[in-house]
Amino acid sequence: MATVGGWAGKVLRVDLSTGRTRTDDTIERYRDVIGGTGLGYAVLWDEVAAGTRPYDAGNKVIFGVGPLAGTGAPCNGRTAITTLWPTCWPTPLVGTGHMGGQFAAELKYAGYDGLVIEGKADRPVWLSISDDRVEILDAHEFWGQGIRRTAVEISQRLGAEAAVAAIGQAGENLVPLSVVMTGYSHSAGGVGSVLGGKNLKAIGVRGTGRLRIAGSTAEWERVVKRHLSLLGANNQHVVPDSPQPWAEFYDPGSRWKAAPGRQWGAASVPVDTGSCDPKDLNRIAYRTNNAVHYLGDIAWKYTVRGNGCTGCPVRCHTMIRVPAAAAKYGIPEMGQNTCGGLNFGRSFFKEFPDGPRGQTAVEACMVGMHLADDLGLWCNYSQLQRDFKKLYYDGTIRTKLSAGEFKGYAWSTYEKGDPAFLFDLLPRLARREGELGLAMGLGTGGLLDRWGLSETEWAADHELQYWKMGHPKHHANEDAGQCGVILNTQYNRDAQCHSHANFTRNGLPLAVQKQIAAEVWGSPDAVDAVQAYTPMNVAKARMAKWSLLRKELHDSMSLCNWMGPWIASPLKERGYRGDDSIESLLYSLVTGDKKSREELDLAAERIFLLHRALTIRDMGTKEMRARHDTIPQWVFKDGAGKPAFSKGTIRMGEADIAIAMDLFYREMGWDTVTGAPTRAAYERAGLAHVAQALGEKGLLP
Amino acid sequence: MGAAETDGVSYERLIAVARAADASLTRRRFLQVGGLSVVALSALGPWLAAEAAPPVLVLPQAKGLVLADPTKCVGCRRCELACTEFNDGKAAPSMARIKIARNMNFGPRGAFLGREGQGTWGNGLVVQDVCRQCADAACAAACPVQAISAKSPANARVVDETKCVGCRTCVSACPFRMMAFDEEIGRATKCTLCDGTPKCVDACPAAALRYVAWREISGTSGLGPRPVERRDA
Amino acid sequence: METHECGAAAPSDTGSRDWDAATNVVAQIVRKLSGAGRFAAVADIREELEGLALLPEAAEEASAALDEILRAALTAHSDLVPVEEGAGEPRFYSSEFMTKAYAGLLLRKAGDRLHLIAETVRENSALYPRPLPLGAFEQPPFSLTRDEILACVRGMAGEKAFRDIAGTRTSAGNDYLYSTAHLEPDHAASLAEWIDVGQYDNP
Repeated sequence: MATVGGWAGKVLRVDLSTGRTRTDDTIERYRDVIGGTGLGYAVLWDEVAAGTRPYDAGNKVIFGVGPLAGTGAPCNGRTAITTLWPTCWPTPLVGTGHMGGQFAAELKYAGYDGLVIEGKADRPVWLSISDDRVEILDAHEFWGQGIRRTAVEISQRLGAEAAVAAIGQAGENLVPLSVVMTGYSHSAGGVGSVLGGKNLKAIGVRGTGRLRIAGSTAEWERVVKRHLSLLGANNQHVVPDSPQPWAEFYDPGSRWKAAPGRQWGAASVPVDTGSCDPKDLNRIAYRTNNAVHYLGDIAWKYTVRGNGCTGCPVRCHTMIRVPAAAAKYGIPEMGQNTCGGLNFGRSFFKEFPDGPRGQTAVEACMVGMHLADDLGLWCNYSQLQRDFKKLYYDGTIRTKLSAGEFKGYAWSTYEKGDPAFLFDLLPRLARREGELGLAMGLGTGGLLDRWGLSETEWAADHELQYWKMGHPKHHANEDAGQCGVILNTQYNRDAQCHSHANFTRNGLPLAVQKQIAAEVWGSPDAVDAVQAYTPMNVAKARMAKWSLLRKELHDSMSLCNWMGPWIASPLKERGYRGDDSIESLLYSLVTGDKKSREELDLAAERIFLLHRALTIRDMGTKEMRARHDTIPQWVFKDGAGKPAFSKGTIRMGEADIAIAMDLFYREMGWDTVTGAPTRAAYERAGLAHVAQALGEKGLLP
Repeated sequence: MGAAETDGVSYERLIAVARAADASLTRRRFLQVGGLSVVALSALGPWLAAEAAPPVLVLPQAKGLVLADPTKCVGCRRCELACTEFNDGKAAPSMARIKIARNMNFGPRGAFLGREGQGTWGNGLVVQDVCRQCADAACAAACPVQAISAKSPANARVVDETKCVGCRTCVSACPFRMMAFDEEIGRATKCTLCDGTPKCVDACPAAALRYVAWREISGTSGLGPRPVERRDA
Repeated sequence: METHECGAAAPSDTGSRDWDAATNVVAQIVRKLSGAGRFAAVADIREELEGLALLPEAAEEASAALDEILRAALTAHSDLVPVEEGAGEPRFYSSEFMTKAYAGLLLRKAGDRLHLIAETVRENSALYPRPLPLGAFEQPPFSLTRDEILACVRGMAGEKAFRDIAGTRTSAGNDYLYSTAHLEPDHAASLAEWIDVGQYDNP
């Protein structure tokens, strides 16, 4: 490891069946796939046979991080957890969950670029990693406990600095809608029950080592500052939410909430977020307040401060203190999370007595976080809550439950919008208790099967936001027209890609976005005004490819795709341009392995091709276009009957989308009839062995 | 070196101190030894090293201090990373000279279940541990090879790696547990104030750290060097 | 008071040193106020200079000096921008700390409220494009009360000059304004719904 920077040098392999651990050399085996999702897909391809199911001992869980994790590169704290996905329906396929917090950095400081969990323990265990001392320890005292007690007790053993990733009762009970959590509020959706199936309760990591930065300290400092200077607020929103003296533009929907007079009201001494001129790099942490973003201005008085991942200045988690919630529900005063996690409790309810942004909504969030983040429940990007609402109000739940079970729930509290209802529901989900508790925890696919519901009906209902294979859309046409649709076809869970949405929602005027689009994707026509979409063109296909590749690149390097890429910036003097090569700059300097933007994008392509190959292999078909890259019917409808490409609708046209998929496949170098990558495409990315294996099974076009 | 140029303290005062250690010391002999910098004073060893009294170590006061505001710390650890990356070329928070990780999750009491602590699992407060650049630096006093001294221009107490023998006595001696140790090279290290432009202060995205000029308000000796009793065996 | 060439250093001439000092003080106060979202009026500058004893005591001399200092400051510091519009005493801002767009908002704010709202709504409808929630006008620099905003909306109704200003209500019960000159009603309505509700359901 003397000559290479960034990477710690070893991937830790833990076989829970035999109790043996060993290490691989990261650079020798995995340099070409960088880390993170690349590492995950490579291990699954090489070592987990088609037909393996998520809870089989033969399934593996790969906790992957990249060479930037644990360094001072901004926005690097994510761990990618890749495995066979329990809620992927009807055939489990490769999927990745992501968690933030301190785990990625601590794993690197302990000396590991990844952790591969293999086999299955014969009794509950936890994995203790303290630098090079790795032990599989008995976990019977933790099993049955929530995530929080487990994490604290492991911290007492490994030290207060340790990072602990744990499952709750939901994961133990093999509830498919379950998570792994770390650091109080950072969850990786979807993977909890896979660890539960292996009897692995938790992983505790303590690392006291170091990571080399290959470049000179002066150059590294310069590049880090360059990256910091281009940062916006969370999701790379580059304008503030209200007019500020230093700003030309603003956007009421921006996550950039700081302004004079807006205070972290629940800090021990209130802290004014103040004017956050983008040139002031010492005020980046004040820009974002996601509690206020989702709960409204009421949340300022509850805000203690921002929180988040190691080394990230953005602090997209908000810590809130709500004494009323403690008094009413007997839960702790403090809560913290972001986005789906923050809204977990609130999303179940159709409405609250005091409106969507009142006190009750805040309390519902507090109760939801308290329960879900300890039980370890996953929302499937809020699909759980949407399904629940529909099935309650259309009477299905009543028909599916026995009279006794139905009466056992305080439905009047649910209908009134009383957060206390969550105490009824969430523990039963975690324990698979009763028909409702069992069915709702299966994920949408399992739920449709069990209750004999029609997927076609789900796919026709826009409000449900269902996409395919048991999962919802995630930044589809509502965000970026055809580009969003394309991206949502490519994955086996909701597409965890934010590259495109970060750009379209950054708050800049359309004219500026179009200029940047022209520079990055070749034409201003790559982007349209939201809800005023125009027909498909090649530039949009390029934008889709770029979005996809950068998502995989970030997930492999350890950069946060909820912040990057950084093609736009808040700097007026730069014409709001960012730097499309920032990933290359960071990677090259940290590792000493000089790679251009194009070379890194090729690595990203290699990584995504592994995902594609795994999907094709495990589905046993090359007919991806027809059978995998599908699009729900609601995308092609409009409630008011407005035609596609008129203003005020996100409706897409079927013929146009067919063109979109053609153009996308062509951009990727894939066969347009099947949507499958060609042998040439695999070979160009250095995956000849993959093409060979697929060819032998007749899975090449 | 002229008698007047002694970091703002008259040599008479120093003589008085030195004499207190060894009554046989004459002014002439004192001046013969050379300048009155700390390093030179340590060369007085054979003179001041006593059968009974330990030698005198004199450290000019640090010009400034890193002042931390815990109400603003967001626990991002960019200060720790800046410290080691921009000074040592490696990401090594375990040897950072400003310390966040040990208080970040639970606060100084350590891990326990219950919300009465600090940090992420408590009330959110993160106390950033910084080197106090002590006037009577215990680390410097404890070092058996006088590897820690005040370094111009900031007069931070700094470990001289060429002298340090890696015994870790200073690590034990610091009452604030602020010493760091570079396991890779086997040497102690500590906050140098980055010679007057602290990298941690520059790196903090929440303006929770400031570099503040030292103002002596104790009303005793002003900005001059203060004698420190050596504490070696 | 002698006049001096701006920036000419004459170490033995206290008048010239004060001149440099004075123009720097002008720049500082303009920048500070700009950063706080305000124009610097001549009165602000005079007060600052008087406080530092950089103006002669006699009123007439002080006035003349102030004029000279202001001219010199504008020459010496290129970021200082005189506000062209509006009658009355001259005002200034610093382009380093305040954008032209924000300055434009302040000028608009000095006028009548109906135009303030209408022009801002038009700007948003044309530029981004998007409708604006009524609540946006409660924030600085507008800082209107809900009642004042509603009164303006009522005042615009039926007026020829504001014919293009229209409203739409989201499913969350919030009202948004847009200009039909730049946004079609359907587009404005669905954008408002997206901004107010949709994007939070799609975190």
